[in-house]
This record gives sequence, structure tokens and C-alpha cells, in this order.
Amino acid sequence: MTEFAAYTIIGLSVGAVFALAALGIVLIYRVTGVLNFAHGAMGMFSTFVAWQVFYGYPHPGMPSWAVTAEAILAGLGFALVLGLVLELLVFRWVRSRPQIVKAVITIGVLLALQSAASLIWKNNQYHLPIYLAPQDLTRTIAGVPIGANSVIIFVIALGLAFGLAAFLRWTAFGRSMRAVSDNPTTAQLWGVRVDMVGAVSWMLGSLIAAVAGILITPFINFDTTSLTLLIVDSLAAALIGGLVSLPLTVLGGFILGLLETYPTIWIQSLGFPRLIALVVILAVLIVRSPRGLPGTAK
Amino acid sequence: MTMLRVRDVGVKFGGLTALHSVSLDLNRGEILGLIGPNGAGKTTLFNCISGLVQPTSGSIFFEGRSLRFVPPHERARRGIARTFQNLQLWESMTVLENLELPMDAVGKRNTFSDALGLPMSHYAERSARERARAILHVLDLDGFGSRLAGDLPAGIQRRVELGRALAMRPKLVLLDEPAAGLDASETEKLAGLLRKVRDRFHVSMLLVDHDMSLVMKVCDYIYVLDFGQVLARGRAAEVRADRKVIAAYLGEATPELAESTEEEPSVTNSSPESLPAPRTEPGEVLLEVTGLAAGYGHLEVIRDVNLTVRAGEVVACIGANGAGKTTTLRAISGVIHARSGRVTFGGRNITGASPERIARVGLAHIPEGRGLFPNMSVEDTLRLASDTTGHRVPLTAAYDTFPRLRQRRHQAVGTLSGGEQQMVAMARAVLAKPRLLMIDEMSQGLAPTIVRQLFRMIDVFRGQGIAVLLVEQFVESALQVADRAYIFEHGTIAHEAPAEELRRDRAVISGAYLGTAAPVESTAIEVAANGSGNGHKKHPELMEILSMRVPPEVKRALEERAEKEGRPVGALALELLEEVKR
Amino acid sequence: MPGHAFRFLIAIVAFAVLARLPVGLDAAFQFDAALALIWGFGILSLVLLTGYAGQVSLCQATFAGVGAYGAGMVVASLHGGYLLGIVVGVLFATVLGVLVGLPALRLHGITLAIVTLGIALVFDKYVFQDHLFDWFTGGTGGWQVTTASILGIPVDSSKHLLAAYDVLLALFCACAVLMVNLHQSGAGRRLRAIRDSEVAASTMGVNLTRYKLLAFALSAGMAGLGGSFYPLVTGSVSPQPFWVFTSLQLAAIGVLMGIRYVPAAALGGLFMAVVPDVLTRYGHGTFMGRAYDISYDWFQLGVGVLLVLQLILLPDGVWGDLRARTAPLSALFRARRLKEVKPA
Repeated sequence: MTEFAAYTIIGLSVGAVFALAALGIVLIYRVTGVLNFAHGAMGMFSTFVAWQVFYGYPHPGMPSWAVTAEAILAGLGFALVLGLVLELLVFRWVRSRPQIVKAVITIGVLLALQSAASLIWKNNQYHLPIYLAPQDLTRTIAGVPIGANSVIIFVIALGLAFGLAAFLRWTAFGRSMRAVSDNPTTAQLWGVRVDMVGAVSWMLGSLIAAVAGILITPFINFDTTSLTLLIVDSLAAALIGGLVSLPLTVLGGFILGLLETYPTIWIQSLGFPRLIALVVILAVLIVRSPRGLPGTAK
Repeated sequence: MTMLRVRDVGVKFGGLTALHSVSLDLNRGEILGLIGPNGAGKTTLFNCISGLVQPTSGSIFFEGRSLRFVPPHERARRGIARTFQNLQLWESMTVLENLELPMDAVGKRNTFSDALGLPMSHYAERSARERARAILHVLDLDGFGSRLAGDLPAGIQRRVELGRALAMRPKLVLLDEPAAGLDASETEKLAGLLRKVRDRFHVSMLLVDHDMSLVMKVCDYIYVLDFGQVLARGRAAEVRADRKVIAAYLGEATPELAESTEEEPSVTNSSPESLPAPRTEPGEVLLEVTGLAAGYGHLEVIRDVNLTVRAGEVVACIGANGAGKTTTLRAISGVIHARSGRVTFGGRNITGASPERIARVGLAHIPEGRGLFPNMSVEDTLRLASDTTGHRVPLTAAYDTFPRLRQRRHQAVGTLSGGEQQMVAMARAVLAKPRLLMIDEMSQGLAPTIVRQLFRMIDVFRGQGIAVLLVEQFVESALQVADRAYIFEHGTIAHEAPAEELRRDRAVISGAYLGTAAPVESTAIEVAANGSGNGHKKHPELMEILSMRVPPEVKRALEERAEKEGRPVGALALELLEEVKR
Repeated sequence: MPGHAFRFLIAIVAFAVLARLPVGLDAAFQFDAALALIWGFGILSLVLLTGYAGQVSLCQATFAGVGAYGAGMVVASLHGGYLLGIVVGVLFATVLGVLVGLPALRLHGITLAIVTLGIALVFDKYVFQDHLFDWFTGGTGGWQVTTASILGIPVDSSKHLLAAYDVLLALFCACAVLMVNLHQSGAGRRLRAIRDSEVAASTMGVNLTRYKLLAFALSAGMAGLGGSFYPLVTGSVSPQPFWVFTSLQLAAIGVLMGIRYVPAAALGGLFMAVVPDVLTRYGHGTFMGRAYDISYDWFQLGVGVLLVLQLILLPDGVWGDLRARTAPLSALFRARRLKEVKPA
């Protein structure tokens, strides 16, 4: 029983990260019409930047929390720049192209980012993830040991999800983003600067990917390819939300996290969780509309 | 005999009823017309017949056999072909290839024989090519054979689509708006072509189009659809004179069929008297459009459009569907690119500017469909309107004008009734105060009372110094509030006149809508324009019979027989006529 | 008739010329040449599936891998002849292709891409690596193939690389001809119609189910055919060459070269096998006093960047653009080849 509870907590933490990553995908998709296959790769790169600041340079005289903060800020800052650069150099010019072409472009971005990261940091497996709480801090609640790290990750991911929802709901810019995601042409007619909204969405999406990447490092192999390939799990969660509903996407993330964690009680296999993700994708897509993604004009 | 039999077909998409118990009969050798305003359900019906959409109720029989569970490609094999409203040619293939494909889809070809290049395949290829060329010849398309379908002008593409449909030796061809984007002379040629095709290829046709001159000229029998139901049917002349049809096209929707909204005694706080505000002298030229041409893809929809709007004016654009009114507004506001011509606003050249820039300089466009965001709440939408003005405008002005909206402020716009949605759209103008407001089909789908109140809002706008350019189907009301009107026909402006003049001379207007061939009694328009006349209360069947001009005894006998056989009187009579002729 | 004969002639000439090409070169380049053909099959399969039929697929390397493992299993585990291995490899790949095609019937564009990506990932991380499938993959070391012969001709990698290359080349040329014939034929037209407008295709008599599944089956089979030669050419099979990133690279390079054109497959295969090898072998030294070392990652980085640039600037791919520029030239060619019957 306690084992089950422990796995549930891990599943929820992983799920929270999936949910966060999926939110970034949905955000970019709804506002710009691009299904960003490179989402994981972007998060991966920013995470490595944070890692580089954390482990790569000496920080004489700084307390550990400050180093962590500095690393994370560096990673997030890089993420913002990356998102902006991609929008300005690439996606601004292909706005009118069909969705599938834009998606293939993101595959090119994926390949470029993954190999660039590999060039800089090699393809080693790093066993030095960024911990947000001391490793050995655990509490026992009702006889179940709960790692503080897992809890913090869960809280942060969920908090960010709510923060994003609040931003969209209450701010003027959030309104503009919702307008553009509802109907970009109509938004133009209302005077919304669609270009700027697009750029900010890319920056925000990249930021979210970076946070997700940083948060998930304790749970998975920390190398350039694994992080990049998390895109498949994020897509599965996003698809559960139909690429439309933010709350359902968050729920989808949790469901996927649990579904991928529970079997590890019985099956020790690195690859098996991927199978689960695929089954979820297939189930959702086939059970849902046969016409594909919302907004897929034909 | 009856080749196509559609019985009580209904289609529901989620909560929306696209078709409601539609029945239709098409006889061999007939060209049947299907007309009706936008959104009436015509393309949905086509999709049901060709197999792309499954009806939720009812059945369709082709040559006596049910089409239920028959996939589209099988229906093609049985002899049903179609063309598409938005041209679905295979653009990367040549014209000849476009025609050859349906031919061998109907015949049987062996993939491996094809891949290996065996003689059997060569023979089949050659004969397919000969037939394709023959069809091109009939359609006057010699020489286009090896051109890529994607590179051709739209008029040619339409004929290629027709040729492709004919290539599979169909028994029935469904034509979805074959005249879209064609000008008057091209439409004339198309009419002749369709008749020629019917005679040469022995095909029956079901034709959907907005171009009345085409439909009236070419079709043997016409069905009129509105709000997913059959509104009227009969021969061309009868339908043209049918008051319900005139009403549906020209004026208020019939009470039985219109969207039902509760009576809303005062939805606006504008002056309740029906007197229009005093008209001030129009000021300087605000919007000037010269030589505007625009279209979609290869289709050129409008050409050589010239219009002006002065400050303080209300100008109406009227004309039939497909005449180019909406396209003109979109070209002005930047949603689509102008191919040629010039648009200036307040002295500034805005041709080719982005829509958001144009909106920010004070030219607001409320598009067809109201241009709202279905998932945003009323309050958020209004805030968005005030956001884009650059400074915080309190929302009270909007809520005072439309108190109804205050009640609904947290509701998602997509869940509001049509009238309330239109209020939200207009509230944007109240808050953002543009210099010119362009409104497209404001009254679509709304009950007459709400429409009257909305038109009063236009007057209020004028009083506040906002000029208005109005595209409207509700001719009478539009003419009440407008100073001037432009009449659109076939993609350009056919006539311009002060509203006074047009109110007096109705013939000009009805000509633009229903075709000018036959004279129309002005009384019919009076009845239609003034709202629900007694004509609507009459039994639909009776109207049909009355218009047929046959002796009463014969009529009675026909009615009885029709009832016994369960078929419409019109079709029965036609059949008998055919027999008598032979 | 003239068209087909002409194509056949070109294929034979190409074979004759290309077969002799690697003769003088060192073993490494001969290896590259063979590998180029194997990946060429992969891209050719994409030309059929995506270029002709419009179905996006991000798991072609998976089909190749299934072919490779199938062949390896037959030869190393069941001790069958290599010919049987090839047949089994192709068969397995084809079956998988049909299975992947089934959900594809209801999916389009991006959703299909997502599903095929998922499949590539599952096979990469699970089927090709998990011990559950050791019977198929030969365990952690994979299958080792030391001697092999096809129809009596020894073709194994250690001493008879050229023979393997010749067999591959013959098959590739044959497939290329078949592909071009298919493109011009009725069945090819139907695939292209599905790509250009599915709605029109189905209402004009094309059985979507039959042709989509056919496209998937043929495509997977072709990729599997190339893959089944992999153990032969390299001597062993492992998951790495058939992982997700290879599928992505096949798609990227295919699009880069021109996903609708058969010659693009040849170019692409060459690009994929030769360029990284050349870069890594000769790409090191000093330049202006700084030491540099070009690794495989540079190749992939280049592919990614080139793909993005190409999609923005040259949407039809390298070969497509070339074709457009030399159109007047090839028009001369075509007029002479096909006899047109003028209408009376």
C-alpha cells in the first residue's frame, strides 16, 4: 500500500511536468498554428544551459540556493531569447504555410538543437540533475516517505499552470492571446497586433519548456536525446486535452504520468513507458474526431 | 423515371441542425436547381448525396437502390459525380490526368501491371487519353490538356472540374456553385454549356448556385432551401414569383422559419421612436475605393469596384449572394489582398496594409458571422475592444446602450443568441468609436424586431459622427436608414443611387436579386418587404398548384394521385406532361 | 511504350556506370556506397508514401530496422539462407506497414506524423532494446552475420562488399524504374489524387482504404528491403542505426532533396551515407592556428539548419528546384519521347 502511494506521488510529480510541457505545446499551437515538435529539444537546451551554469563554473562564496537560482535564471533567460529568435528568424516567414509544413520545420529545428547540444555537451549521460531541495529531505506522512523534491516539483508545475491560466484570464495581453487563438483573422480586425502576440507566445512556450526540462531532470536520464524525445509524452498529454482545453491538458498530463509510473512496479523496462504513451496517443486520436487536430482546415 | 430520391433527410452536427426533413425528387434527364440563402444547407445536402456526410435521419435512393452505408467511391461507380464549391482539382496533375483518373477508377486497373508497364496497361492508358481529349473538345478546352491544373485561371478550372465529373460516365452530376466568380458573359456561356452537356452526354444534373439568371435559364425544376428545409419548389417562373422565396432573399425571414428568440421589448436604449435622426450634410470623403479587384486563389470575385463614403454618411451595399459585397469589404479592411486598385482612408493610402493597422487608424470591420470570439466572455470581449483603443475606456457606455449585455457579462459569447452577439459586435463600436464602421450582414438570422432596433443603432452611430458602410440583405430596412446605396452584380457595381430613388423604383433591386428576365409584380415585393403578409399563411402545396395554371378538376385529380403515391404534385405533373408530349 | 522503354534504358545505363564506380576506391568508400543504397531505399519509400500519396511518416527507419532484424534473425538464429532472410525481412516490414496504415486511414497530416513518431520511439526504445524481444533482435549484441551468399554468389561484407553493392544497386535501379512507372500509371494517379485532394479522390471513385494501405505496405516493404541488406553490408545489426533520429533524418533529407522525386532518393541516400563519413574522416586538422574536428553532430546540425532554410526558401526541395530551372531543357526531351496524337 505504501509502495503504491509512493509511486502515486512520483507519478503525479512526473505528470505535473508533462502537464506543464503540454501546456507550452498547446499555447504555441493555439496562438501560432505551429505544432512544435522541437518543444522538448528547446527545453533540453535551456536546461543544459542552466546545468552548465550550475556545474560548469565555480561559484566561490555563494550559498547553494543562490547558485541554483542563478543557474535557473540563466536557463530561463536563454529560453526567452531562444523563443524570440525562432519566431523572428523562422516562423514569422512561414505564417501562411500549411500546418504540416510548419511542423516539418520544427523537426528541422529539433535536429539542429539536439546536435548543437550534443556538440557542446557531448552525448554523455549526466547524473547530476538540478535539485530544488536537499536530496535527503524526506517527510513521512502516514507511514509513506515523501521526497521533498517531488513535492516541490509538483507544486511548482501546478503553480505555473495556474499562473498561466491566470495570465490568460486576467491580463490584457492574455486577452489578446486568447483572441488570436480563437480566430487570428478576427483578432486582426479588432486591431490586435498578431505578430507581437506570436512572438510572446513563442517566448512563453520556450520558457515553459525550459521549466519543465529543469524540473524533470531528477526523474529521467539526463542527456540530450532523452529530453528531446520527451516531446512524445508531452504530445500525448496535449492530445488528451484535444489541443484546446487547458484544464484537460493538465489532467491529461497527470493521467499520463500515473499511467507511465505504475507499471514500473512490476515491469523494469526503460522502453515500456514509451509504449504506454503511444497507446494513449492512438486511443485518443482514434476515439476522438476522425478529422484530426482542431483547426486543421481541409 | 425518378433517378434520385431524397426522403426526409436530416443532418445534425452536434446541436446544430443543418438539414431538417428534406425531400427531393430528380428525374432522368432533368436539370434540377437547388437555391437558397447562405447557410441554407445546400452543400450539406450535396455531401449527403455524394457520401461525405451521413444523414442522421432519412434515406437516399439512387436508381431504386438505397445509398446507406455505401462509401463515396462506390457511389461514384454507381454513377454519381460532383464538382466542388471551392474547386478540388488535383493541382499537381495535368488536366488530362485529372480527367483520366475517374475513368479508370470506374474501370478496373491492375496496379502491378501498371508498375511493370505491361501492354494491357498501355492499351487502357491510350483509350483513356482519347476519351479525355474528346471531353475537353466538347468543353472547348482543347490545348489545355498538358497544362497543370493548378496553373489555370479559375474559369478554366471550373470547366475542368466539370470535365472531370463527366469523365466517369456518370448518370448524375452534382454541380456545386459552378458559376462562382464568373462574370455575366461567362455565366451565359456556362448556361449554354450545361445544356449542351446534358444533351450530348445524357446526364442528369443537380445544380446549386446563387446566380439566379443561370438557375432560371438552365433548370427544369427548382427547389428552394432555407434554414435546412424546403421552402418552395416549382418551375423557374413560379419560384421567381413565389412570395416566400422573395421574402427569404430580399427581406425578413418568415416567422415560422426564423430563429426563434424571445420578444425583447427594449434591447437598446436608443431613442424608441421610429423616426430617423435628422440627416446632416455629409462631410469630406472618408473612404475612397478606386478600381478594386480581388479574389481568392485563382478566383477573381470582384473587379473594378469604385465607391466612396463621406463622413457622417450611411451607405448601403446591396445585391445577390456571390455578387461580391463581402469580398469588397474584406479587401478594404485588408483581410484579403487587393489584386489591383487603391483604397484611401482619411487621405491615407491603406491599400495592402495589414488589418490590424487599418483597424487602429479608425476603420472598423464587423465581418459576416459577427467577428467575435466564441470562447471569450462578453466582459472580456468588451475589454478587448477598449484595450485596442490604447486607453482604458470604461465599459459602462456599452452596458448602458445594451442593458441586456450587462446581465450576460460573464457568459461566453458563443452561447449567446444571434441578436445578443450582434449587440456585442456593435458594442465594440460604442467603445472604440471608429471613424468608419463597415458592417456585413448585420441582420442575418435575426428576428425582425431586433433588426429594426439594430438599424436604429446605426442612426445613433451616425449621430455620433461615425460613418457606416452597410452590406445588407434586408433591403427595405437598409434603405430606410441609408443615404445612398450601391447595387452589386456579378462582381462589380452595377448601379448607384440615393436611397430615396431606390425606395421608389423596386424593379431595379429585385432584378439584381432574382434575375431580370421576367417582370415581377411590385405588389409581391411590397408584401414581402413589409413583413409577414398573409401570403405566408397559405398552404405551401396550394401555392404551388395555383401557380401551375391548370383547370381545377385536373388539379384536384393530381392532388389525389399525389397523396396516394406520396410524391410532390409538381413532380407528378411534370411526369404526366412528359408522357403527354410523347 | 516509348516512355517505359526509355526509363528502362536509363536504369540499365545507370546500373552499368554506377556498378563500376566504387571499384577503384578503398573499402571505406565502398562501404559508404552500399550504405548509401540502403538509406536510399529508405528515402525512396518516403517518396512513395509522402511524396506520391501524401501520407506523412516519421518511422521509415523503423521499417528498415524491422527488415534488418528479420533478415538477421533468419540467418543468424534460424540459419537460413540470406535470400530467405531478405524475403522474411521484407515481409515483416510490409506487415508492420499495413498495421501502421490502419490508424492512418482516419488520421491526416500532423496527427499521422505524431503517431508515426510514437511508433518510431516505441520500436527504438522498447522493441529493439527490450529483452522481451531478444528472439527477434538477438539480445544486446544483435545478430552477427559473417558469411552469406545469395543464389550462390558470396556477398558478405568481409570480402565481397562489391558483390553486395552490385545486388543492392540492381535492386535499387529496378525499384526506381518501378516507382517512376507507378507515378505515371493509373494507380500512381490515384495516389497523387489522394495527396492533392482526398475528398475529390473518394468522390471520383478512388477507394481510399485500399490505396492508402497499399501505399503503406509498398513503402514499408521497400524500406525493409533496404534494411534487410544491412546485416550483410555491416556484418551485424544493432538498434542505433534505426533509432528515432534516423527516421527524422530520412524525412528531413528526403524533404531537402525533394520528396516527390525519385532521383531525390538517390541523392539523399548518397548524402546521408557519404557526407558524414567524409566529414568525420577528413574533417579535422588546423585552420588558422585552431584545431577543429568535425563530428557526426555537425552533419545533423547542418541537416536541421538546411531543412529549415529550404522549407522557407525552396519548398520543392533541391531536385524540385533543379527541375524547375531546367524545365525548358527537359521539355525538349519529353516532346521527342512521347508520341502525341493530335485531336482531329
